[in-house]
Amino acid sequence: MTTEIVGGAALAPPTAIGGRRSARLRQLAPFLPAMVIIVGLFVVPLALMFVFSFWSTNENLDVVPVWTLENYQNFFTNPTYVRTLFKTMVIGAGVTVVCLVVAFVVAYFLSRYVSRRWARIALLIIIVPFWTSYLLRVYSWQAILGEHGALNQVLVGLGILREPSLLFVYNDFGTFIVLAYLYIPFAALVLYASLERFDFTQLTAAQDLGAGPVAAFRRVLLPQIRPGLITACIFVFIPILGEFLTPSMVGGAQGLLIANLLANFFKTALIPEGAAVGFLIAAFVTALLIVFRRYLRVQDVVVRG
Amino acid sequence: MDPLETMPVSRHGRAIRRAMQVGFAALIVFLYLPIVFMIVFSFDEGATPGLPITSFTLHWYEAMLNNRVLLRAVGNSVTVAIIVSILATVIGTMAAFVLVRGRIRFPNATRIAFTLPIMVPGVLIGVSLLIYFARVLDLSLSLATVVAGHLVVTVPFVVLIVASRLQSFDRSLEWAAADLGASPRRAIRHIVLPLIAPAIIAGALISVTLSIDEFVITWFTVGSQPTLPTFIYTRVKFGVTPEVNAVATVMLFVTLGTLGLAAVALSRARRMTGRSRRRRGAG
Repeated sequence: MTTEIVGGAALAPPTAIGGRRSARLRQLAPFLPAMVIIVGLFVVPLALMFVFSFWSTNENLDVVPVWTLENYQNFFTNPTYVRTLFKTMVIGAGVTVVCLVVAFVVAYFLSRYVSRRWARIALLIIIVPFWTSYLLRVYSWQAILGEHGALNQVLVGLGILREPSLLFVYNDFGTFIVLAYLYIPFAALVLYASLERFDFTQLTAAQDLGAGPVAAFRRVLLPQIRPGLITACIFVFIPILGEFLTPSMVGGAQGLLIANLLANFFKTALIPEGAAVGFLIAAFVTALLIVFRRYLRVQDVVVRG
Repeated sequence: MDPLETMPVSRHGRAIRRAMQVGFAALIVFLYLPIVFMIVFSFDEGATPGLPITSFTLHWYEAMLNNRVLLRAVGNSVTVAIIVSILATVIGTMAAFVLVRGRIRFPNATRIAFTLPIMVPGVLIGVSLLIYFARVLDLSLSLATVVAGHLVVTVPFVVLIVASRLQSFDRSLEWAAADLGASPRRAIRHIVLPLIAPAIIAGALISVTLSIDEFVITWFTVGSQPTLPTFIYTRVKFGVTPEVNAVATVMLFVTLGTLGLAAVALSRARRMTGRSRRRRGAG
């Protein structure tokens, strides 16, 4: 994409005014370093990962340019891998739903019942944890969900559990809770940006015209915030496809997700196999981004957050 | 908001509203629980974090200050963050100017190219860089490769932040300067840069926090010298130490302080460049 810009400039037909081409190059020059970074450190490495996923390794685990589909075959014929991929989708979808519901309630509450000034402050309070270290927040959950963690202590103290358990950590439950925790602020931010624009008197108007509260909600409110809902879905679901820290900290052996497979392949130098998993994730992400490209208002999230 | 506007739509409006208030409070507790625990445990004498808190101690902070490896990791993180921030700010600001004002052939494609690194999961950026550096370019992994990895995410942030300010910039100020005889270069130096400076500063500060906290990309591009997050991760994997809580608490306040400064800078930028054209545009 970006290559075309400079390529286009360089290939521009020579014009009668000789200076135009160099003027155009000069104009684009400040853009070059950023382009080098995006192309050289993002596009090219991802493209290489794609190529590597079709190559083989020799006995020294060096990657050799022998084309093969084996890396993909190995992935899809291994039930554990396929199950992990499927589980990642299910957990990702589940977390997305939870995040959306919670975030919608919060955003609705803030935009409808709270003055704009206080809503902004409340939103800031919700967002602040999101900006603190991701690693450390996940780590702290170990202290809450773990065997000697706060949750167990409280439940034992209340007599609900007889002794501290591993019910909440090193399994899918731990992964689910922490993922929801991580992405609720994100979803809330996106949905609030949508709902803030919504004129709630429309709901009253709909009811004056005979719609019940549910119909007013479904037919008046939902269609207007649909872009926000889709943006929020994508902003929660896509990062979960790449989550490997949370599962490795609170998911244990049982709660691993697809990105853990990827990370393990790379840490054990099985590059082409890892590249195949990486490409599968990347393909899925790309498909989602292309399908929903119109709804991606990254700037809203980045600049407001 | 006018109280009349908030008249409940449903008959159960009041109950719904009360339930939402309670839910909101519960959410705040949920979001802050791990952070509060982290801070509390950093002062707890027991070596395994857990309730009840036995007694108050500053021991872990002392241990933190005496841990050479940890201090070196902090040093590495700070070095990387400063370099990343300077490079990302300069590169990103230059690109933002071209993006907003230059005649780029594919403005939408370019915008997408700058949002993709933010959208794509970090683990993909990390592993693809690992292949690229270690297997293709045959570089040994070091703090330099970490810096390169961080630039992939920080440059787009700076571009988006600065570009959004430039877009809402009132160009008549520049034309006025030109009318008064200023060259384009001078107008940029004396009119545009001072007015968008807060956005640039915000971009720089956000780059610092992103870089200091960055774990995923770093994990794959780091060599033998750990940064603070990779150090903490390996430490936590070995076993929990309250020392980590102390480091985490210090880091938390450093990050929050930096972000506070960034927020102040951004709100100044907003006031100086006026409201954006679109009513809601990035406001």
